[in-house]
Amino acid sequence: MIASKLKEAILSLRPGRVTLKYPFEPHDPEGDFRGYPEIDTDKCIGCGGCAAVCPARLIMIQDIDQNTRRIVWLLERCIFCGRCAEVCPEDAITMTKRFELSTDSGREDMVAECEVFMATCQRCGRCYEPATPLDKIMEPGLRQDEIKRGGQDSPYEPIQSE
Amino acid sequence: MNAQQLGQNIKGRFGPDVIDCTELGPDQLYVTITPESLVAVAEYLYQNEGCRYVINGGTDRRQQRNAFLITHFFAHDEEKIYIAIHTEVAADDPQVDSITPVVPAANWSERETYDMVGVVPVGHPDPRRLVLSDDWPEDLYPLRYDVAHDVHPPPAEGVAPERLEPPEGASVVPIGPFFPVLEEPAYFRVFVEGEQVVGADYRGFYNHRGIEKLGCSVLTYNQVPFIAERICGICGYVHSCSYCQTVERAAGIQVPERGEYIRTIMLELERLESHLLWLGIAAHIIGFDTVLMQTWRMREPLMWLCERISGNRKTYGMNLVGGVRRDITPEVYGDIRGVIDKIGEEWQELAEAIPGDSTLMARLQGTGILTSEVARALGAAGPTARGSGLAIDVRVDHPYAAYDRLEVTKCVHDSCDNLARVLVRVEETLDAIKIIHQALDDMPDGPIMAEIDEELPAGRQAMSAVEAPRGEVFHWVLTGTENRPERWRVRAPTYANLQCVPPMLEGNALADVPISIGSYDPCFSCTERMEVVDINSGQVRVYTEEEFRNEYERPAHE
Repeated sequence: MIASKLKEAILSLRPGRVTLKYPFEPHDPEGDFRGYPEIDTDKCIGCGGCAAVCPARLIMIQDIDQNTRRIVWLLERCIFCGRCAEVCPEDAITMTKRFELSTDSGREDMVAECEVFMATCQRCGRCYEPATPLDKIMEPGLRQDEIKRGGQDSPYEPIQSE
Repeated sequence: MNAQQLGQNIKGRFGPDVIDCTELGPDQLYVTITPESLVAVAEYLYQNEGCRYVINGGTDRRQQRNAFLITHFFAHDEEKIYIAIHTEVAADDPQVDSITPVVPAANWSERETYDMVGVVPVGHPDPRRLVLSDDWPEDLYPLRYDVAHDVHPPPAEGVAPERLEPPEGASVVPIGPFFPVLEEPAYFRVFVEGEQVVGADYRGFYNHRGIEKLGCSVLTYNQVPFIAERICGICGYVHSCSYCQTVERAAGIQVPERGEYIRTIMLELERLESHLLWLGIAAHIIGFDTVLMQTWRMREPLMWLCERISGNRKTYGMNLVGGVRRDITPEVYGDIRGVIDKIGEEWQELAEAIPGDSTLMARLQGTGILTSEVARALGAAGPTARGSGLAIDVRVDHPYAAYDRLEVTKCVHDSCDNLARVLVRVEETLDAIKIIHQALDDMPDGPIMAEIDEELPAGRQAMSAVEAPRGEVFHWVLTGTENRPERWRVRAPTYANLQCVPPMLEGNALADVPISIGSYDPCFSCTERMEVVDINSGQVRVYTEEEFRNEYERPAHE
């Protein structure tokens, strides 16, 4: 019994203090950590590939008219899988190492949005080449995704009307 | 014996009742039988062939066949075969004979099938509602194709679960609805006479997320792995692996060997991580927080290692149908070996200290007895089964990924008590370290992802299982059109192990109840596919009756 307790005590004392002083001293993530997806809206061509693969289904596409496509990323629902960055043909999405994403300035911080001029695009999906047929765009053509956070009585309104 | 021979046996015995009998390789058998012969076939498999019951699933095939497909899954562990027994039930008369009287382990899943698909198990001994919330409408079956995935029925007033009556003279001690040790929702009503437990009733599924429905209605093949991974917060990789393997098997996709090795290494790293976490929690339950602190300290470098390999400390997001997304580069091999060897060293010391610690032994030895007979009857899985002397381990019995090329030891103890379940996990942790070393030694070069050039064919089916840290994770997929499964069925190990709790508690002192429940590493989130509660925070919140009712009566949503 005593021997056992001594062994346990040694095991506990040996490592010393391991607790980090986080958040006073930053602790950077390791390797290719997948944090906040940074979206360079200038690069977006509106192909909709990211929306086709997003498991959380948080990327919404609205074709406002024949020439204009609006894409909204509701990143508050992001699960940080990085699939969008993986398939984007223009490398417009980068998984950053940022993970401290609490915000007190409203949900706008976690929403990205852009409008792309599509000229006379037929929305055939050919500008997005999926690596396998499993990642193909399921709804080609003009789209009017409902921008909701889920559920019928969602309080969410499109950001532009807020 | 292989699947074909087992199929011949079934045909020979039930000839005219067997409508169809197909094998998928030597290890998977699909038999379609008439509803009348279901009980007899189930009894034959369970009693005569010595099969283990896995789960039941219901599929709404009214569009294709004007019928509901009821499927009972069995595993023949000795002969390395999984068996699916399909029965078609006419859509206008949705009822089928219950097999629970002859196969007790079917109890929960038959109730779940009724809740979700609406096929009545006739003759079920305990047909209470299991999965749906108590105010869910009686005639709304969420897994039917004509029910939307995001339907929100209005909440109802004054509803309560149907409860089992305690035996005469016994008092009821409620544990839950938030399980106080694990801070997860689970509601045990323990029946006691004085200090002695004489029975228990369980109501759970308080936060069902409807993940299976999502997989069959809105997601596509390659989106499901990420949702599957979120079935569990501790051992999620097993679910994405199992799902991917199932789809690959159904579609005939061969994962490159390197991909299989990477999956194996990640699975074993996850087992290490989970067992370290579990030992800490178990020690915490019996008030030995030193061990909690030390195991979690030992675990942290492993979490950072996983972050380095996969991009995240948990929910690795490594799997897609066809292989893995990230390679384990040779530069990391040294780090992996370093981290696991350090864990092995300290774990060994800790393991050697346990048998000499009489306080620990007093709490573990002879408490929470789960006999082999009960464990088999209720379909126990993983360390719970192996602690009761059942030598089953999917890695050996039904090898997947690269396990057929690696040496895996089944760690079995037959004292059937809490100590046995601790020792099984202690040994498995050391074994996992050996397996990772082997896999790193043998890791072949090459691609990590199969090339998939065509859309996956519809109407194919496959089963696949993975040995999770808690036991067997089982998935079945019936491929569909529109780039998604027509039906995806998941069985998490806790689903089987939880059913063993009431008999396990009987005869114990009340003080041994928490560690007994904790001893099979319950993961309520796997079972219910609901939100995971952060066990790090340890926040305790007292709900007023009204708050609780609001929480409790909220309809299930994603």
